[in-house]
Amino acid sequence: MKLRIKTIHIYTFVLAAFIFSITSCKEEKKLPILGERDAVKKMVDGKEVVDTVYNTIPAFSFVNQEGDSVSEKIAEGKIYVADFFFTTCPTICPIMKRQMIKVYDQYKGNPQVMILSHSIDPDHDTPQVLKKFATDLGVEGSQWQFLTGNKEKIFEIGQHNYLVTAKEDKTADGGYIHGGAFILIDKEKRVRGMYDGTTEEGTQKLIADMKILLDEYK
Amino acid sequence: MTKPAIIVLFVMAVLSCKSASELKSEQYFVEGYNLYTTYCANCHQADGKGMSNLYPPLAKSDRYNDKSAVACIIRNGMKGTIIVDGKEFNRPMPANPKLTEIEIAELVSFLSMKWGQDSVYTSIETVQAALKNCKEY
Repeated sequence: MKLRIKTIHIYTFVLAAFIFSITSCKEEKKLPILGERDAVKKMVDGKEVVDTVYNTIPAFSFVNQEGDSVSEKIAEGKIYVADFFFTTCPTICPIMKRQMIKVYDQYKGNPQVMILSHSIDPDHDTPQVLKKFATDLGVEGSQWQFLTGNKEKIFEIGQHNYLVTAKEDKTADGGYIHGGAFILIDKEKRVRGMYDGTTEEGTQKLIADMKILLDEYK
Repeated sequence: MTKPAIIVLFVMAVLSCKSASELKSEQYFVEGYNLYTTYCANCHQADGKGMSNLYPPLAKSDRYNDKSAVACIIRNGMKGTIIVDGKEFNRPMPANPKLTEIEIAELVSFLSMKWGQDSVYTSIETVQAALKNCKEY
C-alpha cells in the first residue's frame, strides 16, 4: 500500500514536470520588423545610447469611398492591412480582392483591425467609383477603407513606406504595374509582414500572423 | 458489293466522322479551358460563378445561343448595365485585342459547351464571320 502511494506520487511529479516544461518552453512567437532602419545616437541622462529608428508609415491624407478625408489617425490604436489596386484592373486585383474578403470576414467587427486599400488609378477611381466597388464587393461600414487621392503621394507611400511596387506603365494590361502584396502594419505604424495576396497560402499566413500581432498588445 | 458490306461501310463512315468532330470538340474544349483560366477566371472565377456583384457569373449567362455576341464581347469587351441571373452588373469589361481568331473560337467553344447547350465546338469560320460585323456591346 505504501509502495502504491509512493508510485502515485512519482507519477504526479512526472506529470507536473511534463506540463511545466511544455508551458515554459512555449516560445512566444514574434513577427519581425521590416524595412530599412537607422541607428540614432542620443543622450539619455548624460550617457550616449544608440536607438533604432524603424521604417514607419508617415502621415498621409487621402479620401475614402465616402468622400471623407482620411489621415493616418484613422488607424490609431489599430493594426491594419494595406494593399494597392485599381477598380478596372483585369489581372491580379480581382484575385487579391477575393483573398482580402477572407481576411475581412475573419476580422469583421474587430475594433483593433482595419484594411486600407489604396487605388493607384485615382484619376478614374473617384470616391463614387470606390463606393460602388465596395458595395458590389459586399463591403459596408468603415472597417475597410478604399482610398484615393494624389497619385504621386500614393505611389510614394507605396514604394517608400509600404515597400511595394506601384507605378504607371502604359505597356501593362490596364496601364499600371503593381505587386500583389498585402502589407501588415502594427499599432506603431511599422511593417510587420508582407504576404502574397494572390495566393491562398499568403492569405492564410497573413490571417494567422494578424492573430500573433494582436497578441502582442494583450 | 453485298448489302451488309455497304451498311458496314456506311456505319464506319458515320462513326469515324463523328469521332473526328468529337475529337476536335474535345481539343477546343481543353484549349478553351486553358485560355479561360488565363484570360477570364481572374474576374469570372474558375467555376464561372462570378464574384459578388462585381463580375457576372458566366455559368448563368443566357447569351450562348448568340455566338457572334460572345465572340465580339471577348474581343472588344463591353460596357453598360446587364442583367445576369436576375442580378444587375455595371462594370466595363476590357477588350482582349491579343486573342487570335482560333483562340476566340476555342473560348466560345469552351463556354458554350460548358455552360451553354452546345455539344460540339464552334468553328473558326463562325468566329471570323462574327468578328467582321461586331456591334458595340
